[in-house]
Amino acid sequence: MILRAENIVKSFGKKKILKGITFEMNEGALYGIVGENGSGKSTLLKIIIGELKANEGKVMMNGSFGYCPQKPLIFSQLTIKEHFKYFSAAYGLEKNNSQLNADYFLQYFNFEKHRNDKVEILSEGTKQKLNLSLALLHKPDLLILDEPYNGFDWDTYMRFWDLSDELLKKGCTILIVTHLQTEKKRFNFIFNLKDGYLT
Amino acid sequence: MKLIRIYISVSMILRMLIRRSIVLILFTIIPAVFFSIVALTTSNRILPFRLASLESEVFIEVSEKEISLLFFAVAVTGFLVSFLALNLIQKNNEANRRLIICGYHPLELLLSNLISLLFIIILIAVYIGLLSSAFFSFNHLFLLIFGLLLTGFVYGCYGLAVGSIIKGELEGILFIVLLVNIDAGWLQNPLFYAEAQNQELIRFLPAYSPSQTAIIAAFTDYSVINAGINSLLYGSCFLIVAMIIFFNKMKIQK
Repeated sequence: MILRAENIVKSFGKKKILKGITFEMNEGALYGIVGENGSGKSTLLKIIIGELKANEGKVMMNGSFGYCPQKPLIFSQLTIKEHFKYFSAAYGLEKNNSQLNADYFLQYFNFEKHRNDKVEILSEGTKQKLNLSLALLHKPDLLILDEPYNGFDWDTYMRFWDLSDELLKKGCTILIVTHLQTEKKRFNFIFNLKDGYLT
Repeated sequence: MKLIRIYISVSMILRMLIRRSIVLILFTIIPAVFFSIVALTTSNRILPFRLASLESEVFIEVSEKEISLLFFAVAVTGFLVSFLALNLIQKNNEANRRLIICGYHPLELLLSNLISLLFIIILIAVYIGLLSSAFFSFNHLFLLIFGLLLTGFVYGCYGLAVGSIIKGELEGILFIVLLVNIDAGWLQNPLFYAEAQNQELIRFLPAYSPSQTAIIAAFTDYSVINAGINSLLYGSCFLIVAMIIFFNKMKIQK
């Protein structure tokens, strides 16, 4: 077991978004969370990563995690190269490892030519590539991705799924919030978040 | 707490500030233009006034132009530093939170912001101090710069506190401009202060001690220690408020 959430309850004011969510995730599997807009998918992810505090319940996690938010949370005045340096410091990566990993993702997602460009001049797709790469940089045991392929072109989208397969083979667990019903067959398990409950 | 993380964070914060064109425009153009306007529009009549922060009855005589230029130096330092402090704390809040989720400690980011702010305060105080010397003559350049540093400290901490409490950038700027304008630019100026009612109230405003430090340094040989200590105490109150709010906003559940 790499992650277990127990009886997660979350309200905003009087509105109860999550009404007692319990689930467990194991190593090397791809999990999906689906649900309508406003059903609480992103809220649940934010509770899992510790950004939000649940009113009730607890989350237990074994190992490191990488988080890719839905909206690229990056610094518009910094370059891609500087982002890798900044986030490597956050993860506590050695300089050599950090450089190797950054180079790998720059090449894999084909945005190496933008290495020295400031984020503010990048296209939405390239920002999203950076957003995702920052979550992958330290090779985490658990990847938590909130609609990570928004803005990707078809080639990058397919590369994303190839990379996911590769990571799953290495034992990484991936949790993806998604709207894409067409991708259902890719997932080992799918949770449907509806009316505050997971089914 | 890791020093290398703080070092990297400070270097990134300063890079982000320098790359914002509005920062460079504010830094270079506003002081020079406003100093020129004040120099061209104020008269040279001599005004006698008492220094409010000194215990003994000390009267000095300074021209309206000189006193206006000095208080403009205080006001522009306060405005520039508090605006940049507001930017430091308000901009990139969500991305900073992501850094914390990825491993940065909130204290490391807070310290990085404070070190960056200190760097900004020194840069602005030295620049405005040197610029002042081009427009009027005064007794002690280093002590005047010290007074401007204290102004920067008090108003920098005020900017941090405003930025921590208020989410909107426009609202934050309004809070800063209003207070700096009323306090440093107007109420503390002896042209108004000498005849003001409720002078005690004016003494409790943020620019009181730093502006007294600057005026004592510029036009007398008296000690600035008391006014300096009071400035540090005043700024520290804002700093504590800002730190508590920032830390609470940024901390995550581990």
